[in-house]
Parts: sequence; C-alpha cells; structure tokens
Amino acid sequence: MDTHDSSLAERKAGLAGMGDSRLRKEDARFIQGKGNYVDDIKMPGMVHMDIVRSPVAHARIKKIHKEAALKIPGVLAVLTADDLKPFKLHWMPTLAGDVAAVLADEKVHFQMQEVAVVIATDRYAAADGVEAVQVDYEELPVVIDPFDALKPNAPVLREDLAGKTSGAHGAREHHNHIFTWNAGDKEAADAAFAKAEIKVRENILYPRVHPCPLETCGCVASFDKIKGELTTYMTSQAPHVVRTVVSLLSGIAESKIRIVSPDIGGGFGNKVGVYPGYVCAIAASIVLGIPVKWVEDRIENISSTAFARDYHMDGELAATKDGKITGLRVNVVADHGAFDACADPTKYPAGMFHICSGSYDIPAAFCSVKGVYTNKAPGGVAYRCSFRVTEAVYIIERLVDILAQKLGMDKAEIRAKNFIKKEQFPYHSPFGFEYDSGDYHTALNKVMAAMDYKALRAEQAAKRADPNSPSLMGIGLVSFTEVVGAGPSKMCDILGVGMFDSCEIRIHPTGSAIARMGTITQGQGHQTTYAQIIATELGIPSEVIQVEEGDTSTAPYGLGTYGSRSTPVAGAAIALAARKIHAKAKKIAAHMLEVNEGDLDWEVDRFKVKGQDSKFKTMKDIAWQAYHQPPAGIEPGLEAVHYYDPPNFTYPFGIYMCVVDIDRGTGETKIRRFYALDDCGTRINPMIIEGQIHGGLTEGYAVAMGQQMPFDAQGNLLGNTLMDYFLPTAVETPHWETDHTVTPSPHHPIGAKGVAESPHVGSIPTFTSAVVDAFAHKGVTHFNMPHSSYRVWKELKKHGLAL
Amino acid sequence: MEIKFDKLYPLNVDRARAWQVMRDVRAVASCMPGAEITQEISPTSYQGTVKAKVGPALAQFAGIVDVIGLDDANFTVSYRGKGSDKGGSSAAMELKAVLMVAADNPAHSVLKGEATVTVNGKFAQFGARIMVPVAEMIVGQFVDNFAAAAAALPDVSAGKTAPNQAATDPDQAASAAKEPNKPNKPKELNGLSLVWQLIKHWIAGLFGTRR
Repeated sequence: MDTHDSSLAERKAGLAGMGDSRLRKEDARFIQGKGNYVDDIKMPGMVHMDIVRSPVAHARIKKIHKEAALKIPGVLAVLTADDLKPFKLHWMPTLAGDVAAVLADEKVHFQMQEVAVVIATDRYAAADGVEAVQVDYEELPVVIDPFDALKPNAPVLREDLAGKTSGAHGAREHHNHIFTWNAGDKEAADAAFAKAEIKVRENILYPRVHPCPLETCGCVASFDKIKGELTTYMTSQAPHVVRTVVSLLSGIAESKIRIVSPDIGGGFGNKVGVYPGYVCAIAASIVLGIPVKWVEDRIENISSTAFARDYHMDGELAATKDGKITGLRVNVVADHGAFDACADPTKYPAGMFHICSGSYDIPAAFCSVKGVYTNKAPGGVAYRCSFRVTEAVYIIERLVDILAQKLGMDKAEIRAKNFIKKEQFPYHSPFGFEYDSGDYHTALNKVMAAMDYKALRAEQAAKRADPNSPSLMGIGLVSFTEVVGAGPSKMCDILGVGMFDSCEIRIHPTGSAIARMGTITQGQGHQTTYAQIIATELGIPSEVIQVEEGDTSTAPYGLGTYGSRSTPVAGAAIALAARKIHAKAKKIAAHMLEVNEGDLDWEVDRFKVKGQDSKFKTMKDIAWQAYHQPPAGIEPGLEAVHYYDPPNFTYPFGIYMCVVDIDRGTGETKIRRFYALDDCGTRINPMIIEGQIHGGLTEGYAVAMGQQMPFDAQGNLLGNTLMDYFLPTAVETPHWETDHTVTPSPHHPIGAKGVAESPHVGSIPTFTSAVVDAFAHKGVTHFNMPHSSYRVWKELKKHGLAL
Repeated sequence: MEIKFDKLYPLNVDRARAWQVMRDVRAVASCMPGAEITQEISPTSYQGTVKAKVGPALAQFAGIVDVIGLDDANFTVSYRGKGSDKGGSSAAMELKAVLMVAADNPAHSVLKGEATVTVNGKFAQFGARIMVPVAEMIVGQFVDNFAAAAAALPDVSAGKTAPNQAATDPDQAASAAKEPNKPNKPKELNGLSLVWQLIKHWIAGLFGTRR
C-alpha cells in the first residue's frame, strides 16, 4: 500500500497514466519473435488452401478443368463457383451495398480475380494443384479508364446487374455507373462562381495505391461438426462485424461463431473487408469438418485485396482579388473497380470526402462524386485515413496553392487569411460538419517560426536567380483538418450496425484489472495506451491493467479499428466505463471511511476525506472491499461495461512544412526538412504519438514519391510485387521533425481526437506542394503523383530545367 | 502490355538470299529462338509453339501463325500470330517485314521490321519490367540466325558461293536453310541465358552515345 507521505507527483508517476511516454507493452513479444499472427496458428489436422486466379482482366469462363489437379497427391478438393452455388456462397454482399463474386461466376472481372480454390494436405500440394487447374477463357474487351467506362458503347462489365436502374446509393445512369453522390449547396456554389473575381481550376488525379501491410491477409477456419461451432482466426480490423456477416451468410447463430483477430501486422484499411479467401476457407472447413488455413502471398495481396484512392478530381476555387475564398466546387470520377466494395459508412458512398472545404471558412461549396465500374480489383478503403479524407485534403490543399500562385500571394498568407478562426468553433462547414475545436493560426505561426520560413523563401529566390544552381528548391505547406472517430450512429453505420464502440473493465479483488475492447490493434499500441486511460481514471498502475481485444467470444461488440476511431470512440468508452466504476468505488469508499460521498475528494489513486490527507482509501483497498464485504445494498464486484455512441466526429488538424532539393541532373528529390505539427487534442502517450506520426509520414512519403498501381490497356497490373511497388525502408526514409499543440475536443470525455492517420493525410499534399513549388517560377501549378525521379526529371526536361 | 517495334536491322547478306528465307514461314520460325512450326494447316496458315521464359514467368505458347501478305515484288511479308499458354498467358503479334538493299553496299540488305506484340496475363504481369529489353534481345538473336540462314544459301545473283563451308553442295545448303545455325540456337527464350547479354547491353548503353 502507498504510504501517506508519498508525494503526489511520485504517486502519479507510478501510475504511468495519460501523458506518460511508457514503453509499448506489445514490443516485448514482437522483438523476440514471440508474436502470434494468423500464419503462426497451427491446428491439429489442418489443411491448406490456395487460390486459382484469373490471368486476364475480363473474360467469360468457358470451362474449368479440375481433373489434373485432383490427381496431384495431397490435393483433396477443387472448388469453383458452381460448388458454392448450392450454399448461395458464390456471391457475397459488400460493405457498400453491392455484391462481389466469391469465386468468379461465369465471368472474370479483373486480373487475379479468384476463380477456384484448391484444398490440399500441405501448402505445396495446394500450390501444385493451383498450377494444374486449367481454365478456358474467352477474352472480352477490357475497360481500365473510368471515363471510357462511362461511354455509351463501353462494354458491359456487370452483366449480373443488367436492368438495375438503381443501386444502394440511388439511380444508375449507365451500365458501368454505380452512384452519383452530392454534398453541399450547388446553387450557392454556382452563384459564388458566377460573381467570382478570380477562379482557378485543376484536374487532379489521386492515383490508385495499395495499403500493402507487412502481413498479408489470411485465416484459419475451423468448424467443429459435433458442436456446430465455427472458430476463425483472421486478419481482420473489425472481427465483430465479420462475425455478424459470417452469421448472416452461413446461417450459423452468432453465438456459435468465434472470430479471433490475433496479432495483426498492419492493416491500414486493407483488413477491413471480407475477402473471398476467408469465405472459401470457412466454406471448405464447414464442408470438410477440419481446419483450413489460407494465407495469401504478396502478389495476391497487392493485386486482389482492397486498394485505396483512384479519384479523378476536377476542383475549382472562386475568390476575391485579395485572396478570400468564396466558393468551392469539386467533381470526382471514382474508379471503384469491378465490385463496389468501398469500406464507408452506409450513407456515405464517398466517405467523408465532403470534408474537402478543409481548414478554411468557405461560404459556399458543392461536391459530386460519381462511382464507376472498371476491370480492376475492388476496394476503395481508407488507407491510413478516415474515409476518403486523404483525397479531400489533397484536393483543397492543391487548389489553395494554385490560387495563391494565380494571385501572386504567399502560400502561408493565403492560408492564414482563409482559416477558420479560433473563436468560430464549433464551426459549421458548408457541407454540414460541425468542427469541434481548432486553433489553426497559432499552429501555423509556430511552424513558420520553427522553420524560419522567410529565410527559406530568400534562399529559394537566390537559387532561382542562379542559372548554374545544381538543384531546384521547393517549399511545401499544408494545413489540414481531418474528420475522424466515425461515428455518431445517427449518421454512421456499417451494414446497419451503428458505429459505436465498447469497453468492459473488471477490477480484480487485489486491485489489478482487465479491459476488453471492441477494437483491435494492428500496431497502434492499444494494450499500452488504453491501460493509461484507465490508470488515470481509476488510479491503478497501468502495469497491472491487461487489455484484451480481437476475440469476439470475450470482447464486447465493437466496430473495430480503422478511420482513426479507436481513441475517439473506444477511448471514450474506456473513460466512461472507468467512470462508472469510479462512481461505485466512491460509494464503497464513503462506506469504508464512514462519511458521505460528498465529503470525499479524488486524488490520483485514492478517495480521501476532504481536508484530511491521512483518511483515505486507495482503489486497491476499495477493490478488496468490493469482493470481500461490499456495503449493504451494493452489488459485489467492481466492473462496468460502456457502449459509446459519439455525439460528433473529432477534428484533429496539423500544419506541415517540407523543403525539398531536386537534382536538376537526375530528378532525384531529397527531403531536406519535414516539419510536422499535429494537434490531436489530449495526448495519451507522447512516444506512441510520435511513432504513429513517423509511420504515417513514411507511408505518406511512399504514396507521394513512388507508390502506384499501373495497368496496361489489357488490364494487366504491372506493379504488384515489391520490386515495383514502393515500400520505403530506413534507407529511403527522410528525417522527421515533430511538434504539437493541444486543443482538446470539447465533446470527448478525455478531449482526445485521434492521431494515427493525420500524418498520412497531411504529408501527401505537402510533398506535392513542395515538389511543384520547385517549378512554380516556371508557371507550373500542378503535376500528379508519384513524384519519382523519372517523372520529376521529365518535368525538368519539359521546362528546360534539366541539366 | 503492348510493345511496338519499328527498327532497321542491317544484314551481311544480299536481298535475294534473305528474301528466300523470309518468304518461308518454316525457315523464319526456325530462326526464332524457342519457336517451332508443328503443323501446316494451309500454305498461309501454320500451327506452332513458342517456349519463353521472362523473369519468373515461364510460358509455352501454342497458337497459329497466318501469312497475311506476301509481296515478292516489294520484298514484303506480313505475319499475324496469336497464341496462349495453359498457365494463362497469351500473346498476339503482327509483324511486317520489308527487305531493302543496303544504301552503302548493294551486296548487303537491310531488314525493316515493324511489329506490335501484345502480351497478356501472367507473362505481362511478372515480366513487364524486362519485357522490352528481353524482346529486343530475342529479336537480335532472330536477326543473327536469320542472316546466318540466308548466308548459308548459294549466292545465285552474283554466281559465287557463299562464304560457308556447306555452300558448295546444294543439298547441304538446303539442309542448312532448314536448320540454320542450329548448334548456336537457344532451345527456348530463356530469360536467364539472356541476363548476361542484357547486362552487356546495359553497360554498353552507359558508355555508348546518348541522344
């Protein structure tokens, strides 16, 4: 027990609660190779599954020859769509209200689509079986460009939708059209443009990229025929939702389905959806009654699981001559691939793209997003961002830069002029969002001072004046606002389930605790940070608080981890569950100290009688009492469950500045400095925040400088290995400088807003802003990502700047 | 993916002899590394196979080659080929070849080749990054074999024998034309066997003249 004379500060430090940079609890097992990932799971009698995939992007399947594969020793079964048909499992619902083929039914719609699966006694036999399955294809014309897809005579991609003039998101105007979704006020925006003094417009492509987590997707499905129970270990960012989907698809009661997400090696949105591999492994296990393992390889992961972005954006700003923005219009053609499998809240087929008015007070705005089918893999997930926020931030930040260029204004000046002011919060955006809190001016000033912005501009001017300078210098600046923490169930649901999240805390008799959550960590460090929230709320050292997630049989129902929702939603659930316990503990303490509850004060880890430091009961004392001899009228035990339905989203923001030096001979772009100031409200673990920011910046660097998924005219994906797909290592990764301000969220129980995705969302336009800025003196306003050396060199050539 | 060729290949052999090889599909096929004509469907249509390995992708294409144009007066021939392999790669090619007399030496000729090759499936996916250099290598090997086959024929126009040990005997010349330069001909388009050549060309490119 603590002694009376322990100083307050020491007691506080001993808890390692909120604000403490305690080391990650997860790392002890990871750095020793003791993690437990899906591929580490081995069950008795387990067999293996591999997938036959289409080599072509669009074709009719004439025949599938299984015979040769079935002769291979070890091959147990080859399943095709026809085998799944009796179970109605050959198609499955997507998160976006469409259907997707589990195994290609008569037609393939994209290269690497799943056509058949081979089940075998070992992984090698399964792979041999896949090689031996022969499929006769009748090739069909391929549509890769979403604009071509909308032409009147474009090939019909989805024959299964023939005659359907409306989809999950309203009318379909063409056989390859999915939806058109509008937000904002078109009339007001058009009026603003009609009387605008200055207008700028740019076509901006946010290319198709892939989250490419280190661990690919996979599962081990095990159906117990005797008990009628299905257990599936799965790489899922949302295990509870998967359980609901599996129950709906299979008819097995949810109570007999157990989905476990063990350790997960990165998700970044890629592990939100349900993929054919999972469904086939589960179906195979149900049929065979033995465990079936499926783990995809890297090429399969990049080629067939959910991509991100692929937004063709046409953006416009209207402004006054002195640089006050008066209107915004954005039209998007969104390439969704062969099936609409975007992972967005049901009502928002373009996610939160309507955050595209950014950090600026724009009186009139309108956006329209048109979803289109093409012969590419389905997806459209939030790659380390809240739903489509990355695209939104990219378009507004590019447009503001372009407007500044047109007006001859400085990038920083035009931002400061148009920022939503501190006193305007809560701010109602023209798209209907209520921004909770922010202080953009303070953050901008801090970054400009830290980087000595004036000196940088002077240096750049000198370089531009020198024709012999070996490099071009560019300065990028971005001020982003994110909308995360989806979300209020009145607005957000996934397949009808509101996007709340949950926490169950039990305090054990001797004062340690366990918390079970509806979220699932994939590297975010939940086991570390969640414990810190409880430590501060309840005065129990975080060291003795276990955090468990990912097992649907033990954890309370939650919507999972993506879209920076863990801290804003589950973090709040923790605090409120802890506060329920706190309230009960206070009653018990009052009884133990023989005073009224009103006579007690809470201090770090104990209730004490007002004004009497020596009369107190710690949470540990109270826990023992709760199990040993609870006061009359009070239930024994000390635990609570809370389901938190957030009243609003949270709006983290940041100011990022980047200085690049571009080699005029090679086009190589060196990141000289990158300064990231983030405001994520209350900071739970500064070390983890910094790690999250480093990771997000590195992934942002990857997207901006190299990641792309190029398709040729026949629909061949020409970059689906790590030889071609850029994944930066320590060698390429620049040095990051981080900073912060703290503007707590007023509606969140602990004021936290979420941070993991801000650096990704914010850094990508910063890199483009910097690279394009290097060419600004030549009148260049924009060029598309990725800014690889070759592409930058071509720009240098084009403008006579190459050496 | 689509690769387009439009290149001039100087040949150390006169046009008449080169044309004799060029107008014979079987002879042309036998100059192509890894290619084989398996059946004559008609005088203008043949079945054949091509074995190829590009990077990790190995394919045995089986398909049909059609002679879509043969113009003796203008020394021009056009072929169209289309084939696919069991593992899900397919390829299509349209080739137009014209033989011209070399401007600087009437005893030599120049092969002008225009080709569009469309490769699809696994081959395109995994071989894309080296497809163009490999294709260039293959064409280079083809041109060498082709020139050798033509040179092995008796030089009828000039009335003198070709500089080949077999050329004095007409029977031997004919057999040389059927199996030109066989010992040096690679059995298949093997990416590995091309690696050294690729590296050599790349290094040569580094120090060679640039545009």
